[in-house]
Amino acid sequence: MQKILVWDWPVRIGHWLMVGGFVIAWLTSESETFRLLHVWSGSAVISVAAFRLIWGVVGTRHARFSSFVRGPRAVLAYLGSLLRLQPRHHTGHNPAGGWAIVALLALGVLTGASGWATYNELGGHWLEELHEGLAAAMLAVVLVHLAGVFSGSLLHGENLVRAMLTGRKAGEPGEAISSARPLAAVTLLAWLLTASWWLTS
Amino acid sequence: MKTIAILLLTGTSLLSHAGTPQQIGQAYAQEASSQIPGFSASAARGKDFFHRRFDVNAKMPGCTACHTDNPLAVGQHAVTGKAIRPLAVSANGERLSDPAKVEKWFGRNCKEVLGRACNAAEKADFVAYMSEAR
Repeated sequence: MQKILVWDWPVRIGHWLMVGGFVIAWLTSESETFRLLHVWSGSAVISVAAFRLIWGVVGTRHARFSSFVRGPRAVLAYLGSLLRLQPRHHTGHNPAGGWAIVALLALGVLTGASGWATYNELGGHWLEELHEGLAAAMLAVVLVHLAGVFSGSLLHGENLVRAMLTGRKAGEPGEAISSARPLAAVTLLAWLLTASWWLTS
Repeated sequence: MKTIAILLLTGTSLLSHAGTPQQIGQAYAQEASSQIPGFSASAARGKDFFHRRFDVNAKMPGCTACHTDNPLAVGQHAVTGKAIRPLAVSANGERLSDPAKVEKWFGRNCKEVLGRACNAAEKADFVAYMSEAR
């Protein structure tokens, strides 16, 4: 195995935009002074998550849901190999990580949508409670995701955080993606600005 | 059928923790009297508190920054410009009907506007003012 390009630009930029958006939204969640910052950062999360759902169908090989969403048996087999401290290496997402991503994208969309509805007063107090419950659930999945990333990094001897920055992971040359898709990343940024502008106006 | 109705009633009361302004005020007054012997809630003190400038937060120096001088009026968020429904129960029947919601917003707004948590006496007075303002 050697270092090959696995994560394209939309995956990487989208990932770190979601990280920044979620962190800022969480830190400003109880503040009226920073309410607009909260609304903007939350809009970034839902916009990026929505883009990623489409990119999961039309994106590059390892970005596609079909390449990493696996059944419960595959997830249990992977978690078992983790517990035996001999994790099976996956070039893209591992089966457990794949579900964390699906959950984070779903929660990103639902938390953002309920926040938008609360901000526009489309529902009562229950919408506010739902928004807070979804955000708390998302934080829980983020923590599980982080635990998985760090334990996986240690056990595989592969820095997965750096891989999400450089796009490069260990794999067979035939598994590499041929382009990092910079134009799609520009589309993501244009979509982010448009969607956020609409959501916050 | 009857069982279902009872279950539904229990369920909704558990979910919404329904209360009246009197019950909510009473709970804060009770808590305050354990700290201040002989405490009795005062709408006049609540009114004074509502109009006070704390000057901790530049955008929101006091309650009136968003809720206006008149608790019967529709307010406006000092940052987002969004409308805020009146605080006074006589102008907005939804106010002071859910103890958890009241406590949550005291928690958020006191911290931001006063720079500290409100004590039970301040909350009891505030609730008395919002219950009585006409």
